[in-house]
Amino acid sequence: MADFTYLSPEWVEEARKRLTERLTPEKMNRITSSMTNIYKNCPDGKERYMYVAIENGNIATFEVGEGEPPKAEFKIIADYETFAKISRAELGAVRALTSRKLTLRGNMAKALRLAPTVDKLNKVLASIPADY
Amino acid sequence: MADNLQDDPYAVDVEQRIMDIQAEMQKRGLDVYLGSRIRTMSFIVDTFVPWRTYIVIPAEGMPTLFTFVIDAARILSETWMDEDHVRAYFGAGGADQIDAIQYFIDEELGIKKGRLGYETGMATYSAEGWLTHYEYEQFSAALPGLEFVNSHDIVDGVSLIKDKGTINRFREAGRIVDEGQKAARKAIENGGWKGMTETELGGIAALAMRRAGSVSEWNFAGLNEISSGWRTGLGACTPPTTKEFAAGEALMFDLHAMFKLALGDHSHNYLLAPATERQRWHADNFVACVQFVADSYRAGATPGDLITELGRFSEDRGCSDFILPGVEHGIGLFGDEWRVGASMDVPIPYWTDPEHVYQENEMVILAMQYAAQEDDVGFRYENPIVIRKEDCELTSKYPLAIEEIG
Repeated sequence: MADFTYLSPEWVEEARKRLTERLTPEKMNRITSSMTNIYKNCPDGKERYMYVAIENGNIATFEVGEGEPPKAEFKIIADYETFAKISRAELGAVRALTSRKLTLRGNMAKALRLAPTVDKLNKVLASIPADY
Repeated sequence: MADNLQDDPYAVDVEQRIMDIQAEMQKRGLDVYLGSRIRTMSFIVDTFVPWRTYIVIPAEGMPTLFTFVIDAARILSETWMDEDHVRAYFGAGGADQIDAIQYFIDEELGIKKGRLGYETGMATYSAEGWLTHYEYEQFSAALPGLEFVNSHDIVDGVSLIKDKGTINRFREAGRIVDEGQKAARKAIENGGWKGMTETELGGIAALAMRRAGSVSEWNFAGLNEISSGWRTGLGACTPPTTKEFAAGEALMFDLHAMFKLALGDHSHNYLLAPATERQRWHADNFVACVQFVADSYRAGATPGDLITELGRFSEDRGCSDFILPGVEHGIGLFGDEWRVGASMDVPIPYWTDPEHVYQENEMVILAMQYAAQEDDVGFRYENPIVIRKEDCELTSKYPLAIEEIG
């Protein structure tokens, strides 16, 4: 039994804490961007989003919710299980993209440039012990 | 942009080009334009766009480019367009050509219904870049609310008359090609041709042109087209071969340079000594015919006029059997190499309209081929020209002549 349930309010709180502690603006290359992950087919049958806004390298907003997500520069859409597999390192993000398990919406060229920086954020989230 | 236009002789006003396209889109009731041809990219992006690329032009505002992901950053570093408008496609969920552009038009531009202009047609040039049948099917299925309307003549029309910066680019490309011709001549004179192959000569000229500022021997039919001896009599496109030059042969050097997407293209011919009387007769005919056509170009002339007058002229000289039909092909920025004029209302679609009326600052390549296959001799002349009110300007200044060289 892990400490947190993935995408729960407690998990979100922990994520905010770890992101703030571990990701300095310098580490985040002072980027400004935003992205929304759309989780389809969550275990309770609902659809959720995770929205992250980064301003000048600072995590300005990090939230999980239901319904219409805030507008973001990038949108990544997949089944909950796909995101869970990526978080558990059972599936690579590139493989998920190229096998159409993930759908990316937004400027692909910019996404590729930002990918190494955003990957740091994903690594922090993956470090949270969670039940999926 | 205004300062830039004043200071830089090669500056072009791309914003005006886009506004011209959008004005034409408005006249035709187009909500969005999906360009796919190389010439459309050159005209708008104003940088070298070699990979399969699409440009989406809304009825108002900035166009957005979608190119193969490996080249997106390079294009961004060279074009005037900003990061938000230089995008990439990739074989990934939501990011392939069809998905990325469908989402952009549907969701970002919010165009779900209306008319979409696209580019289809035919050409003698394989790499034109028309929307393929597969792409058409996929895009029209992905954008079911849009009526697809072939509209490439919009770009053809607004790019027909060349602006000052574009003409200056062609002048510089012409100067560069002349450097190639000088190097080629130097390489073959005084017996330098002995043991030399067509491919080697092509490389010598390419190096000289690169040193003079060219970035590409852009031509799709063999880069620098070099032919010698019996091959000159074949008339057609001539990628250089490993054939060695030999005494008593004709040589044809058709060199290509590119400067800021403007295309240098000049063919020059020689006879390697000893030339026969028959070869000299052919050579003199050819030079006279080229000069006759060069002297005939002016605003108000038509291709039909020129070909008819050349027919009479060559008939009088007794050489009409050797002149291949046609005296020009179209030219513009990289990718715009064949079509003359912009009208779709022509007797034979996608071929030159004999009634096309040349206008000032329109450009074509004065192109003539002479093929006497039975005598193993032939010549080619090409030179991008600017049509002027009373005459034309040759962008390559290399003297028109066919020298006998030892």
